[in-house]
Amino acid sequence: MRLEKFRFLSAIALFAVVWLTVRFPIEVQTAVGHFFGENHIDPATLHLNGEFVENNLGSAQESDGSVTVRMIAQQYVFVPQCVLVPAGVPVHFRITSADVAHELTVTGSTDVLKALPGTVNTANFEFPSAGEFSMPCHEFCGSGHYAMRAKLVVVPREQFQRLQPDERISCEPR
Amino acid sequence: MKGSPVSRVSRRRYLMVAAVLNLPLALFATAYLARSASPPEIPSNVAWTETTLAAANGGDAFRGLLLARRCDHCHGAEGFSDDSSIPNLANIDRLTIWKQLEDYRTDKRASLVMRGIAMPLSAQNSADLAAYYSMLPNSSDPQDKRVFPQAPPNGIEAGLASRLVTLGDGQRGIPPCQSCHGPVGSVRGAPSLATQNGSYILSQLEGFASGLRTNDINMRMRSVALQLTEQERRALADYYGSGAGLLPGGAR
Repeated sequence: MRLEKFRFLSAIALFAVVWLTVRFPIEVQTAVGHFFGENHIDPATLHLNGEFVENNLGSAQESDGSVTVRMIAQQYVFVPQCVLVPAGVPVHFRITSADVAHELTVTGSTDVLKALPGTVNTANFEFPSAGEFSMPCHEFCGSGHYAMRAKLVVVPREQFQRLQPDERISCEPR
Repeated sequence: MKGSPVSRVSRRRYLMVAAVLNLPLALFATAYLARSASPPEIPSNVAWTETTLAAANGGDAFRGLLLARRCDHCHGAEGFSDDSSIPNLANIDRLTIWKQLEDYRTDKRASLVMRGIAMPLSAQNSADLAAYYSMLPNSSDPQDKRVFPQAPPNGIEAGLASRLVTLGDGQRGIPPCQSCHGPVGSVRGAPSLATQNGSYILSQLEGFASGLRTNDINMRMRSVALQLTEQERRALADYYGSGAGLLPGGAR
């Protein structure tokens, strides 16, 4: 009886030691990356400097033909609210949050991308066919969460105009 | 002639004049070539960092009371104006008033009248004014010359507005007004609209939609106002202007 108890407790202790040993470096790495890594960004000053200033949001064309989309998620809108990308081309999303955790999803696909305050999250998507898709927020972010939704417009590759290096495009009716 | 003192002097003068004339051009060309990307468009110099929040919240309401007497003429002695195109300031939160004054001061929000008034204010003056106005009650006062509760909208418009205020429109990505402007939720820099004048709300919604007003951080209001139709903007203005946003008992 006593031996059994000792075995049980030692098993728990062993598990804890192994778990902490395995987990500790990962946690440290995550924390260090969050605060000091290249993806660290101050959510309060997104509009003042850095890559998420107003005129740098939306789709940009890279020299290799791929497209980079920069977005801000905030209570309770994505900016830009309408994203324009070409079909059949790698689309590189860079997103951050100005306040709380959000998640960008694309209806009809499994593409998801978390938007967290303090970091820039990235993902590579590719949209095979042209069409209009809805991009709702999939992380409860507050009372307006249910209406937080952006639009994705995928146009055929030929229709997507060639952009200048510092030119940004979105389909907001402005 | 070559080597004579006169010609040497005139040549030197010629070189000096040429250098002076070409200097701006050279500077401009250097700046143009050094430019890697287009300069950032900054909607507002205000960012809600710890220091900014401390400055905006650190006002003295009594100093504000003295300073606010120059605002009486337009915004009313009790923070309710007698012209519905001028905003009511009673019970508007500190951060909003501080940020708008800062934006007027730094030309991020355009207004010929408010620019001249905000220019001489210091950041501390703005905080004092913000503290004062945020403490004014928004309850009714029949003796005041206010125009605040305006004529209520007709049935259809009221229904349209109340749906947008409470639910928004998810299909178009329009969040409910009340989740940022209260009473359900609040966001830094988003004022209460419960006792705001209708014409003022309408003009600001139109300003956000047309790009005349661009001082919302991260394009939040511009994104929303752009999606609203003309009818919806008017309905919302009438809704809030008639006091429909007030909770029973006058709370916001």
